[in-house]
This record gives sequence, C-alpha cells and structure tokens, in this order.
Amino acid sequence: MLRLWLTGSAFVSGMTILVVLGFLIQASWPLLQSQGLAFVTESEWYPYEQLYGLAPVLVGSFWSILLALLLALPTGLAAAILAAELCGGRGRSIVRFGMELMAGIPSVVYGLLGLWLLLPLLESRLNLLTGRSLLAAGLLLAVMILPTLMVFSEEAIRTVSREQREMALNLGLNWPVRLWRVVLPQAWSGIRVAILLALGRAMGETVAVMLVVGSLDRLPEPFYNLLQPAQTLTSRIGREMAEAAVGSVHWAALIMCGLVLALVAMAISLLAQRGQRP
Amino acid sequence: MTNTRIAMVLVVLLALPALLLPAMSLAYIAYKGIPAFSWDFIFGTDPGSGFGVAGGVFAQLLGSLLLALGAVLVAVPFALGTALYYHLLASAVQRHVLMALMNMLQGIPPIVFGLCGLIVFVHLLHWGVSLASGALILAAVILPMLVLNSITALEQIPFEDTEAARSLGLSHASVIARVWLPRAWPGMLTGLLLGMARALSETAPILFTATVFSGVVWPDSIFAPVTSLQTHIFYLSQEGSDPAAIQAAWGSAVVLIMVVAVFALLARALSRHTNRQSGVLSEGADS
Repeated sequence: MLRLWLTGSAFVSGMTILVVLGFLIQASWPLLQSQGLAFVTESEWYPYEQLYGLAPVLVGSFWSILLALLLALPTGLAAAILAAELCGGRGRSIVRFGMELMAGIPSVVYGLLGLWLLLPLLESRLNLLTGRSLLAAGLLLAVMILPTLMVFSEEAIRTVSREQREMALNLGLNWPVRLWRVVLPQAWSGIRVAILLALGRAMGETVAVMLVVGSLDRLPEPFYNLLQPAQTLTSRIGREMAEAAVGSVHWAALIMCGLVLALVAMAISLLAQRGQRP
Repeated sequence: MTNTRIAMVLVVLLALPALLLPAMSLAYIAYKGIPAFSWDFIFGTDPGSGFGVAGGVFAQLLGSLLLALGAVLVAVPFALGTALYYHLLASAVQRHVLMALMNMLQGIPPIVFGLCGLIVFVHLLHWGVSLASGALILAAVILPMLVLNSITALEQIPFEDTEAARSLGLSHASVIARVWLPRAWPGMLTGLLLGMARALSETAPILFTATVFSGVVWPDSIFAPVTSLQTHIFYLSQEGSDPAAIQAAWGSAVVLIMVVAVFALLARALSRHTNRQSGVLSEGADS
C-alpha cells in the first residue's frame, strides 16, 4: 500500500509536465496542419481571415522581457549587494522583508496599479494618447521580477566564501575592487540563475501584462518603438481564449502560443539547473 | 577611501527603488482601497446588485478560499508521496530526473496550466467552467513547490535518526510515521501555507476555467463555477467608466492582499519557530 502510494504519486508528479506538453502539442496540431511552420514569421493575425502570424507576439514578449530585465537588474543587484555586503543583520532582514512583501502582492493587483497609476502617469509625462504600450508592460514587469532578482542574487553573494574575501582583504584591495574582482565573479553563477528565473517569471506573467500592454496585434513600427500598443504571448492567450471555438484553427493557434511559452520555460529551467550544479 | 565612498553611494542610489517600492506600493494600495471598506463591502453577499460593483466581496473571498483549499487538498497527498518516494525508494538516477522534472514544472507559466486544464478538464471531461477544474489546475501550479519544500523538510532530519530507526528494524511505514513526520511536519506545514498563499495569488489559470463574473455565492456542486477575488479585481479594474467599480477593485485588492498575507505570515512565523527549535536541539546535541 505504502509503496503503491509513494510510487504512484511520484509517477503522477513526474508525468504532469509530459502530460501537459502532450495535450498542448495535440491541441495545437491543427495549426501546423493548416499553416505549416510559416506562422512563426508571419506578421498578420486576423482570426477571421485565417491569418495566424506569431511574429507580433514574439517581438512583443521579447521587448517587454528585455526592458524589464534591463530596468530591474541594476536595482536588484545593487539591493542584493547592499543587503549582503553593507547592511548588518538587521538592515539585511528589513530589505529582504520588503522584497518578500513585494513578491507577495498578487499579479492582478500589480495589474490594477499599472492600469490606474502607471498608465495615467505615462500618458501625462510622455504626452501619449494612450499609455498602453510595451514600455508600460516592461516597467510593470521590472517591478514584479525585482524580488526574484534581489533575493537569489543576495543568496549568491552571501555564499562567496570567507577565505576568498579575507584573501582579497589581505591583499589590501579596497571594497569596490574586492566586490568587482572577487565577490561578483564568484557569485556570478548564482546571479545567472537569478536572471534566468526572473526571465521565466517575466515571460509567463499574464494578467498584469494583459491590462497594460494594449492588446493590439501590430509589430512595433519602427522595431524599437516601445510606445505603441502591442501584444505578448500571454496577453493574446488571455484576451482571446474565451472567444475561440473549441477545436478551430484559432483555438489551435492560441494553444500554440502556450506551447511556445512552455518550451521556452523548460529551456530556461534546464539552463538554470545547469548553472546551479557547478 | 574616496573610491569606496563613491561606490557605496552608487550602490545605495541604485538600490533606492528596491528599498522604497515595497512600502510605497502597499501604502498606495491601502490609500486607494481602504475608503471602500464597510460592513457591507466585506460581508455583503447580494450578488445581483450591479454585477458585483455595489455588493460585497464575501462571495468572491469564499470562492478564492475554496479554490485554494481544493488545490492544496489535491496537491498535498501527491507532494508528500513524491517527497517520501524521493527519500525512501528512489535511485540516484530517479532522484536526478525527479528533481529536474520538478524544477522544470515550477518554471512553467501558470497560464499554460490554465490552457491545459481548459483542454482536459473543461472540454475533454466536460466538467465545464467549474470549481473542480480550477482547483486541479491550481494544484498543478503549486505541486512542484510543495514537493521541493517537502523534500527539503525531510532533508533536515539528521541521518543518525533514520539510521537508528532502521537498525531497530522498523519498517518503511514506521520510519515515516515515527521518525520522519514528527520531525518534518512543521516544515511541510510551512510549505502548505505558502502553497495556499500562492494559489490565492494566481489569476490567469482560473480566469477562463473556474470563475464567472458574478452571481454565485456558494457553488451548488464542485462542477459549478465560482467567483473569486482575483478575477473580481481583474474584471472591475476594466470598468473604467464607473468610479464605484474602480473603488471596489482597490478595496478587493486590499482584502486579497490581507488574506494572502495571513497565510504568508503564518508560514513565516512557523518557519522561524522551527528554525529556532531545531537550533536549540542541535546545540543541545553538540554540548
């Protein structure tokens, strides 16, 4: 009985991911059948005319993630250095508690903040017709991945061995040099994992992005224009899933967006695990 | 010295957003949300009035808790079994594979589970948009976290204890029941509370699989849809033309954060308590 329970639950837990993948592949198959692989680079998405180009959402997801990472990384890393190197135990636990509080705010509440605080701010400051844009999504995602970046980077910095630090101190190196030449290179593999986890989080975030990104299936024009409404993989699924008819090509195309998310997330996770095992 | 000082100032300046944002965002949410509070807002169950704009959030709160509780109830037996399998029966290769699969599962965006649940539970099994579909999807979302947490909790048990129990000729079942669970349950309970908090925070996977906009206070069966605080906030926030709806959205956000915080803080208190206790125990063993 015991053996059955343990083996059974381990089997179920392990198989979950394969079952998820299997159903996603099976359900997105009609798209491959009707369009081949060309949809990846097509830029038109009009379900009524059977056009299912994924390029706008891929570009949208890419820009919003990149922006979020570029904005959040300096702050997250600095906060990690501050907590691990400069603060005492008390200051450190205050900074970390702040990060835990931030991580505890549900994503839909971040969406609410984005919609009714960030968008009006962007509109008035940048003189935009609508603040709904990749910039808004990037800013909101930056706030949301900050705790992940900070907490994991801080742990990575704290695991740098005492001997290494003391050796550098004995060489008479001052703090910035010790940090830049000894501590950060030693902690890099851990920081890399933090970045990868934050990437995965930013990519999969749905409701908050959905509320601020504008949900317009257009490629940014020109390609670096982050101030116009756009669409990401997750926001498209969230916006259209309820409307698509079960089993239609539209349905299959939306499932394909989910499949892309799942595959990229798995790749990120594998990379992160390789980083954790030195 | 000046170099050091400049570097420190730079680090503090860069870190400033991380130091200020938590307090600022919470304060802003409270400032916007608390004016919405009243007895009727929290405990009003009148679902008909203005599609949840005028009524209270009691039904939504109930739905959220039901979904999260269902998810934890489904996930815990599997998580516990998997963690025990990992420590008791798994070979080195199996451990390696199981760990990799769990980490991968944890990285999968929740919306993907929502999609898969939509295909399997809602359509293939004809459960429809229902409490059961939502609870099972959320169970998959929190499963890897619970498994990894239980594995860590079991790892804390000193090797000597297990060896001693084994040398007394105890069976697998007795080792689990007499040695492992008594020592590991606080860690596992911490994981369970965090899983509850996580399930309460998720919106995307239940948006089109478990919840409807309004009209449900207590679902008739587990195959009936519910309303939830998360999706309530999502819908209300888009009612831009109605200030009362936005007000209610901020109020619901405060309620949601408070409920999540209750579970997160309980987990925090419990893990601190056990850390202190195990610290005392190991010190006692050393001396």
